[in-house]
This record gives sequence, C-alpha cells and structure tokens, in this order.
Amino acid sequence: MLVMRPAQMADLADVQRLAADSPVGVTSLPDDAGRLGDKIAASEASFAAEVSFNGEESYFFVLEDTETGRLVGCSGVVASAGYSEPFYSFRNETFVHASRSLSIHNKIHVLSLCHDLTGNSLLTSFYVEQPLVDSPWAELNSRGRLLFVASHPERFADAVVVEIVGHSDEQGDSPFWDAVGRNFFDLNYAEAERLCGLKSRTFLAELMPHYPIYVPLLPDEAQEAMGQVHPRAQITFDILMREGFETDHYIDIFDGGPTLHARTSGIRSIAQSRVVPARVGEPGKGRLYLVANGQLQDFRAVVVELDWVPGKPVSLSADVAEALGVGEGASVRLVAV
Amino acid sequence: MIVRPVRSADLPALIDLARSTGAGLTTLPANEERLAHRVGWAEKAFRGEATRADADYLFVLEDDDGKVVGISAVAGAVGLREPWYNYRVGLTVSASQELNIYREIPTLFLANDLTGNSELCSLFLQADHRTGLNGRLLSKARFLFIAEFPQLFGNKLIAEMRGMSDEHGRSPFWESLGRHFFKMEFSRADYLTGVGNKAFIAELMPKFPLYTCFLSEEARDIIGRVHPDTEPALNMLKAEGFSYQGYVDIFDAGPAIEAETNKIRAVRDSQALVLAIGTPGDDATTFLMHNRKREECRITAAPARLAAGTLVVDQATAKRLQLKAGDQVRAVPLAVENKELSR
Repeated sequence: MLVMRPAQMADLADVQRLAADSPVGVTSLPDDAGRLGDKIAASEASFAAEVSFNGEESYFFVLEDTETGRLVGCSGVVASAGYSEPFYSFRNETFVHASRSLSIHNKIHVLSLCHDLTGNSLLTSFYVEQPLVDSPWAELNSRGRLLFVASHPERFADAVVVEIVGHSDEQGDSPFWDAVGRNFFDLNYAEAERLCGLKSRTFLAELMPHYPIYVPLLPDEAQEAMGQVHPRAQITFDILMREGFETDHYIDIFDGGPTLHARTSGIRSIAQSRVVPARVGEPGKGRLYLVANGQLQDFRAVVVELDWVPGKPVSLSADVAEALGVGEGASVRLVAV
Repeated sequence: MIVRPVRSADLPALIDLARSTGAGLTTLPANEERLAHRVGWAEKAFRGEATRADADYLFVLEDDDGKVVGISAVAGAVGLREPWYNYRVGLTVSASQELNIYREIPTLFLANDLTGNSELCSLFLQADHRTGLNGRLLSKARFLFIAEFPQLFGNKLIAEMRGMSDEHGRSPFWESLGRHFFKMEFSRADYLTGVGNKAFIAELMPKFPLYTCFLSEEARDIIGRVHPDTEPALNMLKAEGFSYQGYVDIFDAGPAIEAETNKIRAVRDSQALVLAIGTPGDDATTFLMHNRKREECRITAAPARLAAGTLVVDQATAKRLQLKAGDQVRAVPLAVENKELSR
C-alpha cells in the first residue's frame, strides 16, 4: 500500500534519489544531501512545533510503498512563502495606452515584479515516480497535503500558492529566462536554477529588474513561454487546477511558468472533505477516496476504494485502518479522488 | 547671403523647403496651415509680443536675389506649454560579489528634465546651397541673436540631433520600441509631433523605465548616435561648446545636446563694435555679424578686420546688414579657433 506520511531523517538517501530525478526548476528539491537533510530536519521540527499561526514552518511529506519501504514520491507545504525574505513573482498587468484624438487604443501587457504572494502558504517539492503519473497516487501525493492543511488550518495562511515549473527545451534552456533573467545574470537557466537551489530564490530575485517589463518588447518565444507548463509539471498543474486554483495572475520570474493561487477555504479538497467516524470492517465497493487521519506528526493519508454514504460513518479495512493508525471510533478526513 | 526673421511672404518658399526635408525634421512639417501658424507666431515673437514659453524665433537664409534657401530657429523655451519628453540614458547595475555577477544595463528613463531650456531647432538648408559659409552662417546666426537678447532665452540651450535611420527613413530604435506602443510608422509619428499633436506621446508612451536589454541590438547600438547627414552639424555645435549629457529623443534616440547659454563660444566671445566701411584686407578673418536689431534683424558672415574698437567691412557687407559706417554691430569670428577645437 502507498501511504503518505511526514518525512524522517532516515528517508534522506531515498529522498535524494527522488530529488536527483526531478526536473531542473524544482528548486525545492536540490540534489544535495546537506540541503535535503536540512529540509527534513526543518520539517520534523515543524510537525513537532506548537503553532498558533503560520510562521516559518515547512512540512515535507513522502509517499512510501509500505510493502517494500521504498519511497515513490514526495511533496511539501511551506507555511508562509517568503517568511524571512520577500517572495518574488511577476504580476501580469494590463495598461491601456489610448489616444482619443488618434483613435488608438492599445492594451499593453506588463510584468511587474511584486511581493504580493509573500506570506501565503506555498505548495512545493512535488515529485512522483514516472509510473505513478496519471494514477490516483499522484492525486494522493499532491492533495494529501491539502487534507493536512484542512485539518490544521491554524498552521497555514488563508491563501495557498504554487509555482509550476515552466517551459524549457531539451537542452535545458528556457526562452523566458534567456529573454529576461539572463540579461541581468549572464547565467544560463540551468545554472541559475541550480544557484536558486543552493542559495535561495530571493537571493537571485533581488538581482532581477525592479521596473516593470513591457511584454511586447520580448521576443515571441519568450512571450509564448509565459504561463506555459513544463511537460513534467503538467500533472501537478492539472491536479491543482481541478482543485480550483487560478492561473493567469502571476508567473515565475525565472522561467515564466504559471504561479497558481487559491483561497485556502475554497480549495476543493479542503472545502469538500468531510470528517467522519471510522469503523473497521468491510469497506465495500464504491469509488476512490483520499483518506487522512487528521493527525500531526503521525499524519497518514492513503487512497482507497470506499462505499461511503455522506452523513454516515465510513468502513475501512483492517489494513487501511492500520496504515492510517486509526482504530474503531476515531475520525478520519476524506474526499473523493 | 543674410539671415533675417521670417515673414508671411516667405510661406510658399517654406513649404517647398519642408517638402524636401524627408522624415526626421519634426519642427518643419510640410503642412501649410501649420507653417502659416508658425510664421505668425514667429512674427509675434520678433515683435516682442510673445512670452518666452511661446516665442519661436524662425529665421530664413536669403540670397542676394531675395530667394529663401534655408531656415533655422530658436525656441524661447521648450515644455512650458506641453510636456517635453526625452529619455535620460541611465544605468542599472545588477551585481553580486557572492555570485561573481556584474552586469551594467543601460536604462531609459522618460523625463521632462530639459523643460524650460531654449532650443535650437528647424535647421534646414536647401541641398544645392550646402556650400561655403552658408551652413555655418545659418546655424550660428542664432548665437549672435541670443547674445544680443539674452533675456529672451533660458540659461541653457539644447539641440535635438536627428537620430539614425536608414535610406528608407526606417529608424531601428523606433522599430524596436516606439512601434509597439504607437502602432504607426515612424514618419507618421514624426509628422504628428511636428504639427504639434504632442499629447499622443504622453498617452501612448511607456511610462516606466526601459531596460535597453529588451531592445534589439541594432536599436541599442544607435542610442545617442546621430544620422550621418547630421554629423557635421553635431561637430559644429560641439566645437561651440555643446555636449551630450545623456538625453536622447524618444522616437529615434538621437542625442539632445546642451550647453550653458553664456558659455557658448559665439555668445561668449561676441562683442559690440562700431562699424567701419573700408577694405578688410587679404588677411581678414571671416566674422559673423549682427545689426543688433530684433525685428529688423540681419545677420551675415563676411571678411572683416578689427581695428581700435571698430569692425572694418566692405560696402556690400554693410549694405546686407542695412548699416552705415558708425552704426553698432555685434560680431564674432565665424570659425572656432584651432586652440579651442583641440581643447
């Protein structure tokens, strides 16, 4: 069974294996044991911390195959984007340049560097092994986090954002980066993303242009890359769009990938999930659900087929109950896949 | 040849001149109504009936047969009625010691900084008269007029020099920048500015600073550069003390050069003298001379000799200036001395 749970230091080697395979641009998963170790340590401290409002915490989950003990995916949530430093995005803006006397009415698309999303909670570090893409477990790996957020709202902001990796070609070059960032850094895209992973994105962002950029001045390839999703990030994008995230307002300052955002309370897995009493017994045939135990350090989430009637308790098989660490009468949070 | 204030009667000649300028001379549009309006204002200015904000001293170059072959002008002040735009070419530095990054990115800032200065403009000389002293007379005549009537002008004088464009009038700077915002040809934008429809600039221009790295390489290369045809005019003004201080035209990125009015050589070195009629002699210097009048202003260039507070010129020159012996004249050598050039 594939079970989502908080990452532990013992997972480090396996996590690094996943990180090594994640595409350039997922800077939250650097292929670097030191940084990943720090990330897991920070996560363990966050799960253990007493928290009454969102601060510097970051939560890092892994998806484990309980039969083999092997990790097949991971994901994370940062409680506050840019907690100790500004979180940079480009905001899409439209300016109308109009001349009544000449009957000219131009809509000019402008990218403004902004900190609008600072303090929002941030979904990060999504990775699933290739065979799991387009499976319910990819949903679990992504949306399990949202069930965690739903159970611990005080730990998160009232808006959630996620940066989707943008378009880059087979050589690892990003047309958006080449047209924008490269001018200010003289580094290629892969080098820049590597530096982001090693330093911080803010570190580099501070070198980015602070005046708005007039999009019509950018080459066509760069304009086309704006808001485009890297093929390997399509799965994350699709899942979150179904969750009600909005695109179009913000893009990533490095590769032009879309930055999605949503009100926390409006996210489908949060708004539509239900907390119901669990019974251990025959689950019956029905439809797939994500089920989470609602706990903190012992947080677990799985995807299972259930025959559940809203308003009634839910029957879980003994295996599932054990995997979730819940017994008869405990409550679980569930939402349809 | 003399330089004198324009008159209504010159209108047909002016229209012919304007038609022959091609794109790039925004202050001389081939529009009859507009030119008539301009001449009207110039006449007012020379009569002393215009405030500095409106004053437009438009001169013509006339040959001894009374034919108008060129024009030049000085505006009392720019930008006091409508905003006057330039880009200031500034710099953005993107640097991090830690990352070993250091990048300099020239950045264009839309500015009204040159507001209130007087402006040399509208210099145009018919092609078949671009010989001898004509060009220098037509351009520098303005300095004597300014020296004579400093109260009519600002402390600083500017001149916008025509920027680079190809033989089809295509400006690389315009293609890379202006076109995206104006959605029209350079020549049309140029024409609209010339006929005084300047509000559209403010309405359509990008308001934020522009990193030049977003412009084409071709466009970047010509920022602050003049059209090859304008090279001689630029050199002449530089020799008089003008310099490029980082302001360029918003359409073609040609340089706007500037000088403190009283430090311009022909203004500073000009002197009021008494006219004497005689033989200047074989070693005479070519002087620029002004009859010190405003409405009846006449300026010419001719050999002359300084002798004990008098300026000795020949009879024909005195006649061109409409002066007789004993009258006052303001004069300065036409050419910049070599020592000044090499300074």
